[in-house]
Amino acid sequence: MTERKTQTVLNRRAFLATSLAAGASVAALSAGAGRALAATDLSGREMVFASWGGSYQAAQEAAYCNPFMKATGALVIQDGPMSGSKLRTMVEAGSPIWDTVDVTDTFLFANEELFEDLDFNIVDASELDQAYVHPKGIGCIVWSYNIGYNSDVVGDTVPQSWADVFDVEKYPGKRALRDRAYPMLEIALMADGVAPEDLYPLDVDRAFAKLDQIKDHVIWYTSNSVSQQLFVDGEVGVGLILNGRAFDVNKKGAPVHVQWNQNIRSIDYLVIPKGAPNAEVAQHFMNATADAKNQALMANTLAYAPVNPAAFADVEPDVLPWLATAKENQDKGFLIRADYWRENLAALTERWNEWKLT
Amino acid sequence: MTLKNRNLWLIAPAVTLIGVCFLYPVLWLLQRSVSEPVWGLQNYETVFGKAVYVGVLWNTASIAGATTLLCALIGFPVAYSMVHSRPWIRKLLIFVVLIPFWTSILVRSFAWLVILQRGGIINDLLIGIGLIAQPLDLVYNRFGVLLGMVQILLPFMVFPLFSVMARIDGSFFKAATNLGANPLRAFFRVYLPLTMPGLATGAMLVFIISLGYFITPEMLGGRGDTMIAQLIFQRIDEFGDWPLASALAIVLLVGTGLLFIVINSIFKLRGGRS
Repeated sequence: MTERKTQTVLNRRAFLATSLAAGASVAALSAGAGRALAATDLSGREMVFASWGGSYQAAQEAAYCNPFMKATGALVIQDGPMSGSKLRTMVEAGSPIWDTVDVTDTFLFANEELFEDLDFNIVDASELDQAYVHPKGIGCIVWSYNIGYNSDVVGDTVPQSWADVFDVEKYPGKRALRDRAYPMLEIALMADGVAPEDLYPLDVDRAFAKLDQIKDHVIWYTSNSVSQQLFVDGEVGVGLILNGRAFDVNKKGAPVHVQWNQNIRSIDYLVIPKGAPNAEVAQHFMNATADAKNQALMANTLAYAPVNPAAFADVEPDVLPWLATAKENQDKGFLIRADYWRENLAALTERWNEWKLT
Repeated sequence: MTLKNRNLWLIAPAVTLIGVCFLYPVLWLLQRSVSEPVWGLQNYETVFGKAVYVGVLWNTASIAGATTLLCALIGFPVAYSMVHSRPWIRKLLIFVVLIPFWTSILVRSFAWLVILQRGGIINDLLIGIGLIAQPLDLVYNRFGVLLGMVQILLPFMVFPLFSVMARIDGSFFKAATNLGANPLRAFFRVYLPLTMPGLATGAMLVFIISLGYFITPEMLGGRGDTMIAQLIFQRIDEFGDWPLASALAIVLLVGTGLLFIVINSIFKLRGGRS
């Protein structure tokens, strides 16, 4: 299955390749490896860090791995790309080769048994927004699902809500939406008038009924690079896009923008696979990723938002409006309920697949 | 059987490879599909009991069938032209047919998106020359999937046909027309049956490879074009649901095997030995 392999490469952030925002000065961080790091000498120790490849992992290497190596003397080896099946297979076989992995919140919540508990004596999570801390992982970035639009296509009719996105008279033609129950059911319910605070538990039948109304007016994507393509080429005027993906093409000059109303925040966690050979080094590494300066560097590079509020002091002003945890943006949206999806993802995915055939 | 027993070691590498890389994993899949969560056929009951899996299996078979048919219709004249043209044209045609193998399937799928989308080259051209007023939906639907798959799989049809056609004695066709058959009749009664071994091999290859397609339907398809490999991947990658994924894989494998046997026996009954 060589096809499957290439699919992994198509991941969310891997495709941001060309946009390593030059402005993010790597030099600025050297002063930043603070916290308890300097106290721990890990010379001669090593660990393997696996993430999603591309510019995303390159940014993580610069923002998290290099400062950690400098402060502790440990060696961090880069590997990847992250693959759910690969990770699961190695943990089940009892011999993971990865010590720290970047996983999505859905993956963490659906597979908690695969990961080590964090040692909060080593990992100082006290500065972090606790909404992004899990017993087995700490949020490394926060991104959001946003209403996206191409201003050349929609002109002054900027979509204000998901109800607008679902309005086929206001926006004739196709809209781009994600081919997954997660988070399309939340979006459908909001489009049907449900307030974010009343979403859970999801009224699934109502969501599918709403989706039935527009299902033929949609281009369904699974690959986020396809979503970028659709917005950049004006194949769609409105739809769903990840904030980082919109930032990427916007910085390259495309008339693609996001609406922050009703945005849905989601988290990537760093976790330690159960049985990881260098779990102890990895715990110290986790601590380094929570550092405010390191997080600011990450944000300035790819517009993925910090979970440490102190990081905002060092976020560049032109990046700030794109960050999901910036106060103003955060207030307009909500954090997806990963605990709800942990219980329901499998069944709702099956129903989603079935609905698609109708 | 011309292979003497003492020369059996010649196939040892292939046998080992197939044993280790194919048989063992398949047996492992088979075991997981009937042993988890408890011993029994519950995973197969799910596959055949839920509309989604039956629907996707049907999708898979019908997309593979349509791809095979289109490859045969397009590939047959291509193979014929390759056989009946001057050597340099033949070389050029072989080259052109092989080009799809040289680029990654992912790049090709993206290229199709750009060409076929509503603001793409084809729609722009058709609107530009006034043939249509509104852009056509050429992608994110079954049409896009079939186009992408036929382009990739055409060589698997063309080359078996080519090798069989190259060995057909042209005098058969002339004899038929001399004996009073019109060209159409001579083609269907004499030429076409002689190409059957190539057509059957090509069809089998295209159909079987199609059954496992993943990226093309994922990228060029629409809501109703899910194929079985996508579901198998999703079950494993997102949920670690090996038992159900294994059952789906085994159903695909057994279905393919049965089909192979049926086609093979039909072909033998009709006396098509080459």
